Amino acid sequence: MAKQTFTRRHILAATGAAAAVIGMPHIARAQNGGRVLVIGGGFGGATAARYIKLFDPGIEVTLIERDPAYVTCPFSNYVLGGIRTIEDITHRRDPLQQRYGVKLVHGEATAVDTNARRVRLKDGTQLNYDRLVVAPGIELKYDGVPGWNEQAANTVMPHAWKAGPQTLLLKKQLEAMRDGGTVIVAPPANPFRCPPGPYERVSMIAWYLKTHKPRSKILILDAKDAFSKQGLFMGAWESQYPGMITWIAGKDGGKVESVDPKSMTIKTGFGTEKGDVINIIPPQTAGKIALDAGLAEANGWCAIDPASFASRKAAHVYVLGDASIAGAMPKSGTAANSQAKVVAANVVSSLRGTQAPAAVYHNTCYSLVTPEYGISVTGTYRPGPQGVAEVPNSGGVSPVRADAAFRKSEAEHTAGWYAGIIADTFG
Amino acid sequence: MRRLPYLVAVSAALLAAAPVFAQQRNISDTALAAQTCNVCHGSASYVSPTMPPIHGVDATTLFTALTEFKTDKRPYTIMGRIARGYSDEQLKALAEYLSKN
Ligand SMILES: Cc1cc2nc3c(=O)[nH]c(=O)nc-3n(C[C@H](O)[C@H](O)[C@H](O)COP(=O)(O)OP(=O)(O)OC[C@H]3O[C@@H](n4cnc5c(N)ncnc54)[C@H](O)[C@@H]3O)c2cc1C
Repeated sequence: MAKQTFTRRHILAATGAAAAVIGMPHIARAQNGGRVLVIGGGFGGATAARYIKLFDPGIEVTLIERDPAYVTCPFSNYVLGGIRTIEDITHRRDPLQQRYGVKLVHGEATAVDTNARRVRLKDGTQLNYDRLVVAPGIELKYDGVPGWNEQAANTVMPHAWKAGPQTLLLKKQLEAMRDGGTVIVAPPANPFRCPPGPYERVSMIAWYLKTHKPRSKILILDAKDAFSKQGLFMGAWESQYPGMITWIAGKDGGKVESVDPKSMTIKTGFGTEKGDVINIIPPQTAGKIALDAGLAEANGWCAIDPASFASRKAAHVYVLGDASIAGAMPKSGTAANSQAKVVAANVVSSLRGTQAPAAVYHNTCYSLVTPEYGISVTGTYRPGPQGVAEVPNSGGVSPVRADAAFRKSEAEHTAGWYAGIIADTFG
Repeated sequence: MRRLPYLVAVSAALLAAAPVFAQQRNISDTALAAQTCNVCHGSASYVSPTMPPIHGVDATTLFTALTEFKTDKRPYTIMGRIARGYSDEQLKALAEYLSKN
């Protein structure tokens, strides 16, 4: 032992403070930077993993993801519109490992022990952590719409609210529909993933119908009385797709009471509607693992500290992205990407025992009404006493009055944004 | 004699760890805020197909652009809406950070 003591001192003298921790296992971990697990490799989790490594390559980061590739919800509406393919929106996470040293683990996290700081995977593997980042996205409530269920979703009434096979199923149904048919889109009440998403979807379905089946109609049966970028969407529908789209607010009979997959009908408070294609966008909660780990409130979403996205339920755990209660921020990919950078800075700072920088968050959501007509909403946010709050007198939507060149330029930036967020998330 | 392999092993580990320590940096408020831009504008190693690059651009050029967006003196699609989320001091610090990173 004397020999080792000598050795330790010897190296200490030679290399300074960095060596002071050698031989002391718990601090030795800190010397390595610490061990971080990330559950979920979407816009939130992958960005967090990447930025922790960018801020401090000495931290060991392991990303647990159950799907081999990431099919993005953003731009999945353009697959429906026929202006992008499913391949265009499918991305691999390998650069995270190859370029940044994030360890990728292909598997499903099935349990979290926040006391022992351990995550269990479906195959039985146990992984320990110093800090845990939980970014599992959403779970769809298959019991949230009476008469609808997973089987209906996988056959005649897709949700297409997680991109992939569901997107292609809805697309196939649109392609199989006769000219003159009715497409029903039924969005849920707030909060839900991507507030402008259903209305961009309607726009892209309209684009497809206008070019292929111009006598067809789209009916929106909405649980809500108002929606994101409403003035811009409705103005654009009038000019681009006159007479094709009808929106019925919840208070005017839009709220879905029940559906019948056999007869392809929907009962509302005001009557029965029949659709040739029916897209049910159901209510949602945080991803199942967040609920199982005890990180969610009774409403199904995870409360966080708005300055760091640290969980309100468990120490050393951060929850971000769609799963979190992010105050004024919408559930968007850009929001998840931005929250992830704040989480990364907080994880790094807390492992080092230094003070974390002040949080600032950003969101931008572009939507295409036609391939050459883009609109946007953007916002800057900071922590406030009531949660994440928008900075006053900033942000907002595109101008209501703008010429075709302006809309076209926002359509071009829609594509620029997509390329950018993929690069910023996966490297 | 038995000491030697241990020394070599530890020294090697320290050598391997050395660049890691060299790369560690403290994260300032401005450094964190500047990362929000990357989602659209890319990084020093990735240039966006449609958004102008901002990393390594002269600080005065960046600050002038940001304040002119903010005050509607320069046409924009979304940058005015974003710049209004920051004080002039914050924009100045961001411009200086981005010019060097
Ligand atoms: C039609 C549509 C259009 C949209 N358009 C836009 C847009 O234009 N711009 C925008 O900003 N946002 C858009 N969004 C929203 C965006 O898709 C989400 O807000 C974003 O994906 C949220 O990121 P996340 O990381 O929280 O979750 P996700 O992206 O869902 O990532 C979660 C990941 O975790 C994995 N996972 C979950 N549980 C486990 C587990 N137990 N073990 C292992 N892995 C697990 C999942 O497989 C998934 O890969 C759109 C959404 C839809 C539906």
